[in-house]
Amino acid sequence: MITTGPEIEVVDVVKTYPLGEGDVVAVDHLSLTIETGEFVAVVGRSGSGKTTLLNLLAGIDRPTSGIVRVAGADLGGLSESGLAEWRGRNVGLVFQFFQLLPTLTVVENVMLPMDFAGKIPAHQRRDRAQELLERVGVGDQAGKLPATLSGGQQQRAAIARALANDPPLLLADEPTGNLDSHTAGAVLEVFADLNTEGRTIVVVTHERDIRSIVGREIVLADGRIVTGEEAVTA
Amino acid sequence: MSGLMAVKLRRDLRASWSRFVLMVIAIAVSLTVFGGILSAWASVGRETTGAYMSTGPASATIVLQKGLPPERMAALAAAARERGGVLEATGRGQFTGQIVGKTIPLQVFLAAPQDPMRMARFDVRQPSAGWPPAAGDVLIRRDSLPLLGVTVGDTVTVTAPGSEPVRLRVAGAVYDPSLAPSRQEQKGFGYLSTASLATPLLDQLKIQVAEPGQDVPTPNRDTVVAMAGDIARWLQDEQRVAVREIQAPRPYAHPHQWQSDALMGSLLAGAALALLLSSILVATMLNTLFTQQIPQIGIMKAIGARSGRIARLYLVMTLVVAAVATLLALLPAVLLGRDRLESSLQNLGIEATSLAAPWWTYALILLAGLALPPLISLIPLVKASRTTVRAAIDHHGGASNPSGVVARLSRLRGLDRGLLMALRNTIRRPTRFLLSVGLLACAAMVFVSGMSLGTSVQAVEEERAARRYWDVSVRLAEPAAMREVTDLVRRVPGVARVEGWNSAEAGVAARGQIPVTRTYPDQGHGRVMLDAVPAGDAMFTPPPMAEGRWLEPGETGAIVLNQNLRDTTVPDVTAGDTVTLYAGGTSSSWRVVGIAGEREGDIFTTAEGFAQAMGQPVQVDQLRLATTDTDERTRTAVADAVDAALSGAGFTVAAANSVSRNQAISEGHLGPVIVILLGIALPLGVIGAIGLASTMSANVLDRTREFGVMHAIGARPKTVRRIVVAEGVFLALASCLVAVLPVLALTAVLGASFGNLFMSAALPFRVSLPAVGIWVALVIVGSILATDAAATRASRITVREALTYL
Repeated sequence: MITTGPEIEVVDVVKTYPLGEGDVVAVDHLSLTIETGEFVAVVGRSGSGKTTLLNLLAGIDRPTSGIVRVAGADLGGLSESGLAEWRGRNVGLVFQFFQLLPTLTVVENVMLPMDFAGKIPAHQRRDRAQELLERVGVGDQAGKLPATLSGGQQQRAAIARALANDPPLLLADEPTGNLDSHTAGAVLEVFADLNTEGRTIVVVTHERDIRSIVGREIVLADGRIVTGEEAVTA
Repeated sequence: MSGLMAVKLRRDLRASWSRFVLMVIAIAVSLTVFGGILSAWASVGRETTGAYMSTGPASATIVLQKGLPPERMAALAAAARERGGVLEATGRGQFTGQIVGKTIPLQVFLAAPQDPMRMARFDVRQPSAGWPPAAGDVLIRRDSLPLLGVTVGDTVTVTAPGSEPVRLRVAGAVYDPSLAPSRQEQKGFGYLSTASLATPLLDQLKIQVAEPGQDVPTPNRDTVVAMAGDIARWLQDEQRVAVREIQAPRPYAHPHQWQSDALMGSLLAGAALALLLSSILVATMLNTLFTQQIPQIGIMKAIGARSGRIARLYLVMTLVVAAVATLLALLPAVLLGRDRLESSLQNLGIEATSLAAPWWTYALILLAGLALPPLISLIPLVKASRTTVRAAIDHHGGASNPSGVVARLSRLRGLDRGLLMALRNTIRRPTRFLLSVGLLACAAMVFVSGMSLGTSVQAVEEERAARRYWDVSVRLAEPAAMREVTDLVRRVPGVARVEGWNSAEAGVAARGQIPVTRTYPDQGHGRVMLDAVPAGDAMFTPPPMAEGRWLEPGETGAIVLNQNLRDTTVPDVTAGDTVTLYAGGTSSSWRVVGIAGEREGDIFTTAEGFAQAMGQPVQVDQLRLATTDTDERTRTAVADAVDAALSGAGFTVAAANSVSRNQAISEGHLGPVIVILLGIALPLGVIGAIGLASTMSANVLDRTREFGVMHAIGARPKTVRRIVVAEGVFLALASCLVAVLPVLALTAVLGASFGNLFMSAALPFRVSLPAVGIWVALVIVGSILATDAAATRASRITVREALTYL
């Protein structure tokens, strides 16, 4: 179901997980709107519901109740295959542990989402993948297998993969959580650059320094938004 | 499939090449065996039927009570040919004689020189001459020559019942694929023109019957029996020729067709089971691979792959395995098929016209090889391709939510913590657990059932041996007065007791009807015998009765029918009924006093009853002797001494042998069946072991992170290793428990089918306890060995390796 409006709209969403004899509430009646072009950081302690919120935005999890509208689609109305197709065209996902396919080279990993979505003509895919890798600074690693790259290089390649289909929305779950501070800074710089192009970015992070580059910081505690303040741009 | 997915497929195959090689080997080996046996089975049927039908076998043989001169028989045959539905008719004769100086009987087929040999024919191969042989010449079936110890050109003296011995020159060798092999029958076959006999008589009217409007023999035995009955009645009523019986064997079926079908069918079933098990094994291994790839599936889903694309990737992977295995198996299957075909036809005494298998066997091999593995892998394949991103994120190996069983196992008290962990781990993945257990249980089922069949056969043999109360058997060429013969034999040193038997070919029918039997031209297959059992101080003990009672001493006009004979010949007859019995050239009415639940024998009567029916004094043609010592040396010495004593007194001894020889012949017939079953069971066991190794390897891969964590919190490699090995052993033991009921069921089914095929009754139900013990030991040792590699790997997983595992 395609609708128009803000890039992300979360209305009174509850997400519970069964655990033992009862349920754990991960997201508790949360409402949120993120406009197109925003760069938002979602922060909070462990177990505050950050990753669950990101998974709800990516269609990885379905809400127990409430509405999640992202990139013009009501995710509740899409099947699993529909969600996969929607993600391929509208969302770039970046994970903490890079998650590149081990048997494909770096450039092939970047081309794979193009293959799935079919948005980019086949003959342009390799060049585009190479360009994206150049852009994130790992163009010279294109022909290598992921296992031969450092953590920072793999995460840059994962960002290039997330950009493969030129999605309007980037969702990143602890993208710097597995990197040293220097590399983490460089990766965040890449996100900042991408935001300047008008892309909406939501990053779940523990990084204290992120406030300096994001437009808004949402603090979660016990599945609820504690504060949703505008960040101070450096 | 897109180029990148093809690249991924290629590299995934390369990354796990050893497992794919194992899968290909498992499928290729079982497909080779299945394809080979399938093509041999299909070709044996074609060749056997083709060779048999090339002889133009008679649809039925109407056996007369007394032989007629060839001219009279030719006139009757000509008249029979005029009847609608009769394609061909001819008069023939037959007798069982013996070459003087040889112990093997010679069955002689007799035809008039002018017989056109349009039916029941044979090829004269050496020299290449046709029918008829010159007067004084005999043709011998080629495979009878070595058995009889004669060669073409030899001159032999042949004894015939009721006539003087005849000197004949072996003029040629004959190829006759309508008969069972001489070696198996322990009988020679000869072909003689009536011109070689002084007063030839023909007592068989052979006919070929067709359906109305058809010009080929009918495959419908009912039509044959009806037509033969009509002609028999015409002979009796209008020609005043008494008919003894109608012999109508199964149309279009070689006498040993059933044996070949049974053996090939068993092999084929075993090969199909091996193929099924190896497909299950491949499905298990692929399931492992899919499980290992769940994180990658999650990533692909996260970046836009739909379930269909993932399914196509893994379907192609499965098809690649199936296709490579099928290609590898095709040529060996063809070669194996040809080898089996040649060997089977050699056993049947048939020359192949072509070794090529029918086209549909190739199609079936391709279909089985290409379709079975993907079909069996379909459920894990679809399940893997439908994995959601959430499920992939949550995937850490074992089940995310412990099942009730696992939870209950956690509460077991008194078990070592490590063993408890292993026990829980064994059933953490129920599908994989069931697949592995099923695989091993199938192998256990075939192994134990196969061995149990051997035990059942052995039990029958022991039962027979227990009943075989005699040490030496003697067969006379012609019946002789009982008292005279037994008194003579009792005087031979080493003889403790003597018992005389007599037997005659017979036919049984409901009262007033002509007996119809399934007897083949060799007069052996399908033949019914009337046995005169000894009385008085005889060693013989009556068999158990299914109905009615056993014969009273000296009782006449009474018979006991074997249960199998009753069921197949006169099914409506019960104890107390009266039947018509044709024996010794006469027909008479007999009262059925009982039905014997016995494996051997057809019709029993007393020696007095037999004598009365034959119109002669009490005679014997067989002797059963108990010797003073039962060692083989004594038995052989007594057999030789009795032979000499009887021959010296003017009796012609056809054979005098120790019972050990008969036992050897019987075991020789059953041995191959047991070897075949074990031959099927052992590879299945190997497939099961490979399956267990694969499962344990998968379990370890699945839980790489878990083992890393265990190492991180201080678990020693030895502890981890012990847990993994214990899991394998638990799985193996579970398979043994699961196999119990299928083993009992398959043992019963095999016992019933093989027993009915080979011994006319279900085998006694026996479960081989040594086989159970061997299998349990094998499966435990096998599980330890099969788990060893996985356990070693688990014990060596580093924390770092575990954390980066994808």
